[in-house]
Amino acid sequence: MEEYLRKYEKIDFLGEGQFATVYKARDVDTDTVVAVKKIKVGTAADAKDGINRTALREIKLLQELHHENIIGLIDVFGYKSNISLVFDFMDTDLEVIVKDTSIVLVPGHIKAYILMTLQGLEYLHMNWILHRDLKPNNLLINSQGILKIGDFGLAKVYGSPSRINTHQVVTRWYRCPELLFGAKLYGVGVDMWAIGCILAELLLRVPFLPGDSDLDQLSRIFQALGTPTEQTWPGVTSLKEYIQYKPFPGTPLNHIFTAAGDDLLDLIAGLLAYDPSKRVTCTQALKMPYFSNKPAPTPGPSLPLPYAIQNNQKPSLKRKLGDLPDGATQPKRLLF
Amino acid sequence: MKGIIDVLQLQIERERVKPIVQPIDYTQHNSTFYGARYIFECGYKLNMQPLTIATAATIFHRFFKKAELSSYDVYLIAATSLYIAGKTKDDAVKIRDVINVANNTLHRGSPPLDLNDEYWSMRDAIVQAELLLMRMVRFEVTHVHPHKYLLHFYKSLQGWLSPSDWRETPLIEAAYAFLQDFHHSSVVLYHKPQHIAVACLNLAMQVYGIQVPCTDETERTWYSVFVNDLLNETLWEIMESIMDVYSKK
Repeated sequence: MEEYLRKYEKIDFLGEGQFATVYKARDVDTDTVVAVKKIKVGTAADAKDGINRTALREIKLLQELHHENIIGLIDVFGYKSNISLVFDFMDTDLEVIVKDTSIVLVPGHIKAYILMTLQGLEYLHMNWILHRDLKPNNLLINSQGILKIGDFGLAKVYGSPSRINTHQVVTRWYRCPELLFGAKLYGVGVDMWAIGCILAELLLRVPFLPGDSDLDQLSRIFQALGTPTEQTWPGVTSLKEYIQYKPFPGTPLNHIFTAAGDDLLDLIAGLLAYDPSKRVTCTQALKMPYFSNKPAPTPGPSLPLPYAIQNNQKPSLKRKLGDLPDGATQPKRLLF
Repeated sequence: MKGIIDVLQLQIERERVKPIVQPIDYTQHNSTFYGARYIFECGYKLNMQPLTIATAATIFHRFFKKAELSSYDVYLIAATSLYIAGKTKDDAVKIRDVINVANNTLHRGSPPLDLNDEYWSMRDAIVQAELLLMRMVRFEVTHVHPHKYLLHFYKSLQGWLSPSDWRETPLIEAAYAFLQDFHHSSVVLYHKPQHIAVACLNLAMQVYGIQVPCTDETERTWYSVFVNDLLNETLWEIMESIMDVYSKK
């Protein structure tokens, strides 16, 4: 096991989550940069019950999945009482890009991000796996502009009608109305709704529906899209935690997304359809005119990156930029 | 989550209904066969899904493929395999239930453990063994089981067999029993799941003397439409391995 300590050379500390600490490391054998996610064992609940279930789920699913737009699990190893997962190294994520005000997102960029997300997700769904926690923060992007879906801690095999699922999944802002109403049998619709919210966020550059409680989340959804009825969403009133809301008329999508073309609005409407059985699937979405119409999706290497990453990855560029008195205006220029 | 399993109630129940087969005294045995037997008994008592128990047996056999039997406690590894299988198949059982059931099956008639040092050391042992097991199987916990192929092949045979054979023989029950019992042997690891499924069905048909219409045993076999790489010799080898399980008792 000591072999692993030699094999992965720690470069940097990247971050700390509820269950794990992530390091940037170098694989000495192949000289590639990887991310090592070390599962915490210190917490009381974990030490008692053994291997963290979230980690186990992630290992089990990712060992089977291989797709350009899904994070690759390179290796798993145990040392002492720790378990570490070795992933492809990803430079940034979509949340950072959306929040970085120095980055201008042109329509081709947005199309590229959504296209890569849908391709990865289509592969997941074809393998009967729901991600259940899609949000900009989990859409990882590397310096070549390739987007990969990450964090499979909540992912689950779906499709068995006898399996009851929990509705306490998906970060609230990206949670679909059927989950908020307590549905325990659900399908790909939960991921598709989240994609709709992410697409909206790419256009608006702020979270589309940032509810501060589950009730507030529903009321924000209804204010934006209108309150659903038995006519617009058959069966809604029989959901377990259905609550009658004040009827909102909703805002036409072209008033919310003023810069979006009709093909894009059609996609958004399909993703944010109330009735989960009418909501578009990945395969349907990918066939919509939006993806074949102009402008074409921007190729990966031309996609924008935060200033700091551009800086690190391209030393020659750094030198050039260093000569300029005001670096702050530079990132915009890097777009073209 | 399943409710807490009432071990005392189970015991009273068992004393009321006199068993035909005497329960096995596992402490008298030390082999992977009895380890697997123990997995099935405990898994059944824990209300686990048959596929989860099959996963546990597979993990167990994979561990002892690499490890020396004398170096580890067979029943600790067996109990831990069940616990891991529960976690990976989303059919989780509480560690306390695993400990109580495992302890009571090994030491029949003993009461559930109090939360004393003995309990905590068992819990510790399982958590430690879990990590060891996971490392030994190189964190590969996804197994393709023969079960789904068995179901698929069986359903496909429905329109092919003569209606009276289909109705009157418990073909799937027998094939399924063979499949489950085959998990007592580590040979289950060495064949493709599709081949095992064919062998179980073929053995069941042999037992009931059923012939699939328009096929024979060597030239035009019924299974050639499902698998194209199963040699007749391999099929007989697997069937013999399945039958070997029964002679171990």
